[in-house]
Amino acid sequence: MSGPAGVGLGWRPEIAGFVAGLPGLRFVEVIAESVPAAGPLPDGLAALRERGVTVVPHGVRLSLGGAEPVDPARVAHLAAVADLTGAPLVSEHIAFVRAGGLDAGHLLPLPRSRDAVAAVCANVARAQADLPVPIALEPIAALFDWPDDELDEAAFLTEILDRTGALLLLDVANVYANARNRGADPLDLLDRLPLERIAYAHVAGGAEHGGFYHDTHTDPVPRAVLDLVGELCARHRPPALLLERDGHYPPADALRAELDALAAASGFPVVT
Amino acid sequence: MTVLAAPGDTWGIPGPVFLRLYLLAAALLVVGGLIQRARLLRGPSTGTGPLGPQQVAYLSGGAPLAVLTSLGGLRSSGAIGVAPGGRLATGGPLPVGTTPLDQAIHVAAGRSLRTRELRADQWVRQALDELRAGLEQRGLALTAEQRAALRVAPLLLTALLALGTLRLFAGLSNDRPVGWLFLAQFPLLFATILLYRRPWRTRAASRALRELRREHTYLAPRSAPAYATYGAAGAAMGVALFGTATLWAMDPGFAEQAEIQRQALTSGGASGSCAGGGGDSGGGGGSCGGGGGCGGGGCGG
Amino acid sequence: MSGDLAARQAALVAALVAGAPAPPGFAPGPLAAARTALLRKRAGEVARHWPLLAAGLGPRWPEVFARWADGRPTAGSLRDGWDLARELRDAGTLPPLGADELAVREAGHRYDGRSAPRPRRPPGWGRAGGAVAVQLAGRVRLLRPARR
Repeated sequence: MSGPAGVGLGWRPEIAGFVAGLPGLRFVEVIAESVPAAGPLPDGLAALRERGVTVVPHGVRLSLGGAEPVDPARVAHLAAVADLTGAPLVSEHIAFVRAGGLDAGHLLPLPRSRDAVAAVCANVARAQADLPVPIALEPIAALFDWPDDELDEAAFLTEILDRTGALLLLDVANVYANARNRGADPLDLLDRLPLERIAYAHVAGGAEHGGFYHDTHTDPVPRAVLDLVGELCARHRPPALLLERDGHYPPADALRAELDALAAASGFPVVT
Repeated sequence: MTVLAAPGDTWGIPGPVFLRLYLLAAALLVVGGLIQRARLLRGPSTGTGPLGPQQVAYLSGGAPLAVLTSLGGLRSSGAIGVAPGGRLATGGPLPVGTTPLDQAIHVAAGRSLRTRELRADQWVRQALDELRAGLEQRGLALTAEQRAALRVAPLLLTALLALGTLRLFAGLSNDRPVGWLFLAQFPLLFATILLYRRPWRTRAASRALRELRREHTYLAPRSAPAYATYGAAGAAMGVALFGTATLWAMDPGFAEQAEIQRQALTSGGASGSCAGGGGDSGGGGGSCGGGGGCGGGGCGG
Repeated sequence: MSGDLAARQAALVAALVAGAPAPPGFAPGPLAAARTALLRKRAGEVARHWPLLAAGLGPRWPEVFARWADGRPTAGSLRDGWDLARELRDAGTLPPLGADELAVREAGHRYDGRSAPRPRRPPGWGRAGGAVAVQLAGRVRLLRPARR
């Protein structure tokens, strides 16, 4: 099964009919936890598979960055979904989701310390042992940093990727959000990441609230993020770019326009 | 050997003879009724052709559902709204490509009718009649004459049943054996009741409806469809295929104020099936159609 | 050491969702923004599970939810909405649409507030704010909508 290619869209049941109607679509991503391990695939997704569209399961609750060892049952679920969808790879986040018996309900950033690197690498290794396909890791957007970070973001990510041999899922919107909230230049990070390890990239929309830029996934993609996509492609174009939208879905025309804008920014063929 | 009417035979006809004639008549009527039914209900052999949402609604739930479908489409495009007090109101101009029913309802909303008063409105009735006539012409809905023709066989069978019952009582009062006749009444009654059912649409239309529901599972309320993305056409088809639950899912405030009838509210509509998933300790929406679960809403933000 | 990492992560999560004080060294502004963003996200997810409740509260939904959920860790969106609806019902501020939804849920499931709701098998009924719903053989019917 071929890897992700071109412009893709996150598959959600809410817009299943819209996704099915995109003639040039070759690749989608599905939230792994929304697919039952024993199947069956949701109708719309099964139909896409029959058309030969690549489906990549995207985990959100494994908590690979947690100090606790990753739950084998969650890894098994992710592996099962990979089998069900015939996926060429899976993806998850460099983040943690729960600690001390409490669930944050959200992806939280790790301290950029050697301890944390060790913890992530150990969990990724545990996961890789049980996964039938390679895993890509996504760095997240964080509104805050830990107080005594030892490494900067580029060094932190590069070390994790080197030690685990995992692929990189680069979320361009997260790069933008972090740079904007820290007052830094997003191009710095782009220049220091191993771009050749990118399996595919994410793009999403966000909005400003209370002086911070939030990567909400429920807003249109800002021009600045599309420009950053252009910069990324000028350096090293990733094999595929996925538009993530999780809620507050706009009329079909607006979604199509966003997909077209993404195609224009990256030079990929139009999928609408 | 001729069977002479023995003295004491009910009505002068021997039991076995009557029974034979009775069963023969019943068999003829039932078979005849079934053949006529199959012919009338078959529908066009060339397939049904394209069906718009209001036509689907009419075939599926008659005039009331067609009106609700039109309301759904108009509401989705913002052309109608509802004022406090339950009276409809216009919210904007009609979009392009509306049907006569849409136009009639838009005008009725401009006159501040209530939802339940719509079907009594003259123009709405006219538009509905046109809708039905179009469907009858295409062989999808049954005409009044066809439905009347379907009544003939069951009526005749009822008459036969009545005759049989009379014979039963007459025989009982004469102390004649009536066992077989008595037993024969039951399957006959069953067949008559089945033949009394008169559908509104042909079998071709039923097949088309089943096919459409399969194609449009993404519009089912349990898929939590993004009605804004699917637009007015999607909303209308959603109401046509899945009923008022679509209106309640799409715009609960409107549905409540416009006094749209609810269907049986199962355990929570769109998220009913999530009751199990929510139990994941502290797991917000884990297996529950994630929809971005943790990966969305601003990772780490 | 891993143990240290675990403790630090636990302290952060507690500060973000359970109302614990911020761990030392964190800038308060960004942490507060994160807390608010988390509540906003939770509100959206609970609204998907309780659409009528959210619609009934209209534009006040995010604020009402955030006020209730602040400092209260999530138990899953279904239970969060359930607990909130019950609290509003007890305070008499449950909107009619929400009352209808709560009555239907109460009729169909047994929920003790401490563990996951379980479907009711024998016939049951649910009441909230004047709404009455009954469940028979797995099908729930709203007998009487809430007072409006």
